[in-house]
Amino acid sequence: MLLSRRDAIRGLTFTFGMAATGFAGQAMADAPALAWTPTALTPDQARLVDVVAELIIPKTDTPGAREAGVPQFIDRALADYFDKAQAERLRAGLDRMDADARAAHGDVFVALTPQQQVELLTGYDREASTQSQAPGERHFFPLLEDLVTVGYFTSEPGATVALRYDPVPGAYHGCVPLAELGRGWATR
Amino acid sequence: MANLNGRARKKNTYDAIVVGSGITGGWAAKELTQKGLKTLVLERGPMVRHLEDYPTATMDPWQAKYPQGQLPPDELAAHYPVQRRTGYTLTEYTKHFFVRDDQNPYTEESRYDWIRGYQVGGRSLTWGRQSYRHSPIDFEANAREGIGVDWPIRYEELAPWYDHVERFIGVSGQREGLPQLPDGQYQPPMEMNCVEKAFKAKSEARFPERRITMGRTAHLTEPTEEQLSLGRTKCQYRNMCIRGCPFGGYYSSNSGGLVAAERTGNLVIRPGSIVTSLIYDEKAGKATGVRILDATTRQEEEFYADVVFLCASAFNSAWIMMNSTSSRFPNGFGNGSDQLGRNVMDHHLGVGASAEAPEFADMYYSGRRPNGIYVPRFRNLGDAATKRSDYLRGFGYQGGASRPGWDRDLVRPGGEVAGPRGFGAARKAALSQPGPWYMGLGGFGEILPYEDNRITLNHDKTDEFGLPTLSMNVTIRENELAMRRDMQTAAAEMLEAAGFKNVRGYDGGYAPGLGIHEMGTARMGRDPKTSVLNAHNQVHECKNVYVTDGAAMTSASCVNPSLTYMALTARAADHAVKARKRGEL
Ligand SMILES: Cc1cc2nc3c(=O)[nH]c(=O)nc-3n(C[C@H](O)[C@H](O)[C@H](O)COP(=O)(O)OP(=O)(O)OC[C@H]3O[C@@H](n4cnc5c(N)ncnc54)[C@H](O)[C@@H]3O)c2cc1C
Ligand code: SF4
Repeated sequence: MLLSRRDAIRGLTFTFGMAATGFAGQAMADAPALAWTPTALTPDQARLVDVVAELIIPKTDTPGAREAGVPQFIDRALADYFDKAQAERLRAGLDRMDADARAAHGDVFVALTPQQQVELLTGYDREASTQSQAPGERHFFPLLEDLVTVGYFTSEPGATVALRYDPVPGAYHGCVPLAELGRGWATR
Repeated sequence: MANLNGRARKKNTYDAIVVGSGITGGWAAKELTQKGLKTLVLERGPMVRHLEDYPTATMDPWQAKYPQGQLPPDELAAHYPVQRRTGYTLTEYTKHFFVRDDQNPYTEESRYDWIRGYQVGGRSLTWGRQSYRHSPIDFEANAREGIGVDWPIRYEELAPWYDHVERFIGVSGQREGLPQLPDGQYQPPMEMNCVEKAFKAKSEARFPERRITMGRTAHLTEPTEEQLSLGRTKCQYRNMCIRGCPFGGYYSSNSGGLVAAERTGNLVIRPGSIVTSLIYDEKAGKATGVRILDATTRQEEEFYADVVFLCASAFNSAWIMMNSTSSRFPNGFGNGSDQLGRNVMDHHLGVGASAEAPEFADMYYSGRRPNGIYVPRFRNLGDAATKRSDYLRGFGYQGGASRPGWDRDLVRPGGEVAGPRGFGAARKAALSQPGPWYMGLGGFGEILPYEDNRITLNHDKTDEFGLPTLSMNVTIRENELAMRRDMQTAAAEMLEAAGFKNVRGYDGGYAPGLGIHEMGTARMGRDPKTSVLNAHNQVHECKNVYVTDGAAMTSASCVNPSLTYMALTARAADHAVKARKRGEL
C-alpha cells in the first residue's frame, strides 16, 4: 500500500529544471480570504499556509486541514511553541515557496493552479527525502508537513472523523477485526 | 531554631513522623495510622488531592496548548534539562508532577538522570505501575556470589507483606508458578492482543524457559470491596494514567494509602515542609524528631515523635541523613559504616529488539491497555542450563505489540525522512488506517552494588533555600555491559523464532538514573560495620529511625522495585508499632 502511494506521487514527474515551461501566469482567482487573524504569520504567509495545508491534507470524505483549523494551529505553534531557529526555518521555507513560484510561473504560490502547486510541493518532498533532518538542517517541507499532520490528526474533526477517538474505552479487546473499526485510533 | 518548650512543643509532637508522601510514605502513613499512631506526614511539595488536582486528566488532544502536548524546546532547555531526558514523561499534561531542574540543582560528576516529582503523592502519581516480587534467588544472590553484603532477610519473611500490599493496591496479573518470579495476589490479567498471543506461542515453543506473561500492573480489573469503599473503580483503559486517574484505576498514594490513612482520623499532612535533618538526642541515644524548612515562609520549625520513617525516596532520604550531623554522627546520621550514599543501583535499560509482525493485517484492538507483556528473567537461575559465563544475575523484558498510528511517518528528532512521503488524499487515507504491527522487547537489567557508585553531599553548591545539594558519581561496569549484549541478542532471537520480519536489535545506550529506580544508598545488612539498616529497616545506630524507601535495598534484582519498597515499608511499620508498644523505641 505504501509503495503504490509513493509510485502514484512519483507519477506526477516533476523536476526543478523544467519549471519555467509550466502554467506560468494562470493566477488562481479564488485564493480564499482568511476568516481568522494570524498573530505570528503575516496575512500573506497565513494565506499561503492555508493553501498548502489543504493541499497536504485535503477535504475528502472527511474534513480537510482548513476545516480542522490547521492554519490557525500552525500560527499558534509559531507564536508559542517553536524556538527561534525553527520559526526562521519555517518562515524561510514559506518565502522560498513564493520565490520558486515566481521564478517558475511568475506569481506567488497561492496564485498558481493546483497542478502547479502540487508540482512544487512534490519537488520539495523529494528534495527533503535526500537531506539530513538533523535539528540544524531540517528541510522546511517535512517540518511544515509534520505540523499540518499533527495539527490535523489532533484536531477534533481529525481525531473523531478521519480517525476514531474514544476518551473512555472502558475495556481492552486485543483482537478486533479492523473492518469493524474502520479507521486508526487517534490516541494510544 | 531553639528547641521548643511546653505547649508549643506539645503541639508539634506526634507518635510518628513520616518524611515524604510518595509510594512509601503513603504506605507508612496508612499502616501507622491504621495501627493507632497519631502520624504527621511531612512533604516538601504542594498538596495534590485525588481527583481535584489532576488538571489535565480529561483533556482531549485538541485541547492541548502545544503540538501533541510537547513542551516548547526553549522551556525544556531552561527548566527541564534533566527531566526531559526520558523523552516520554515530561509534557504539557504532566509537567506539574515533575520538578523543575533549574530550581532543584545537583552535580553530575558523571551523568545521572535524576527524575523526580515533589508533591503529595510523589512519583506514585506518575509511575509505570509495573509490580513484580523479588524472588528467593534475589535475596540470596549477594551471599552466594560474595557481592556487596547479604540481605538480612529472605523471601519468606517478606512474602506475607507482598500479599498484604498487593491486596490493598490491587495488582492485575497472571500466575505462572515460576521460582524466579513468585506469584502474588492478583486480579484478572489484562488481555494479550493477536500478535502477542502468536508471539508467545511461537517463541515459547522454541525457547520454553523464556516464559511470556501479561504484565503485572497496579490497576484494578476486579476491584475489591475495600478498594471500592475508598472511591477507586475499575481501570477504564484510557492509558492517560500519568496525568492522574479520575477513576482511581491505578494505585497512587493519593487514591489509596493516604485516603485510608486520612479515614483513621490519625493523619496530619503538612505539605510545603522540607525536612532538612533529624534531631538526635545524645543523652537518650535516639532521634527526637526532625527539623523542617517551610517552603513558603522559609521559617525553620521542629516536629517531634517517638518514631521517624524516612520515605523521601532513596537519594533524598540519604540526603537528609548526610545533612544530619552531630558529635555522635560526624559523617552523617547512622553512618558509622561509611556506607551512606554508596552502592547506588538502578535498572539498566534502553536495549532490546523490535520487529515487524507480518500476520494479522486485518486485525486491530480497541481500548488503550496501560500495560504490556513481560518476560521474566531466564538467565543464571541457579542451574547449569541457565548459567552464563560472561555475567552475573539477569534481566527481564517488558514489551508488546501494537499498530502505529497516524504519527508514524513524522520525522523524529534528529531522524530522517523515509523517502518522499507524498502528500494529499493518498497520504491522508493511508494515515487514517493503522500501520503494520510492530513488536518490541525492552530489557530491564540488574545492576550490581558497587561501593564507589555513590552520591555525596556538596556544600559548595546550594539550592534556592541555601541547602547543600547532591553530587552523583555512578557508572555501569563490565557485568552490566556484558549483560546488555545478551539482552539485545536474546530479544532478537525470540522475535526471529516468532517468524517476524525486519528484526532489529538495538542498544540505545543507558545513563544511570534513566531506569528511575534509584536505590541502595542506605543498605540493609546484618552487620552495622558494613550496612546502615538492620533487618527491620531500622538505622543500626539509632533504632527509632526507619528508612523504608529504595535506600534500603541491598541488591536490585531486575524487576521494578516499588512493590518491594511498599512491602518493606508495611513490614517495618508493623515492627515499629510493636516495638514502640514494648517500649523499645
Ligand atoms: C515515569 C516513571 C515510571 C516508573 N515506573 C515504575 C514501574 O513501572 N514500577 C515501579 O516499581 N516503579 C516505577 N517507577 C519508580 C517509582 O515511581 C518509585 O520507585 C517510587 O515512587 C519510589 O517511592 P518513594 O516513596 O521512595 O519516592 P517518591 O514516590 O518519589 O516520593 C518521595 C516523596 O518525598 C518527598 N520528599 C523528598 N525529599 C523530601 C524532604 N527533604 N522533606 C520532605 N519531603 C521530601 C518528595 O517530594 C516526594 O513526594 C517509575 C517512576 C517514574 C517517574
Ligand atoms: S488506564 Fe486505567 S488507570 Fe490509567 S488513567 Fe485510564 S482508567 Fe485510569
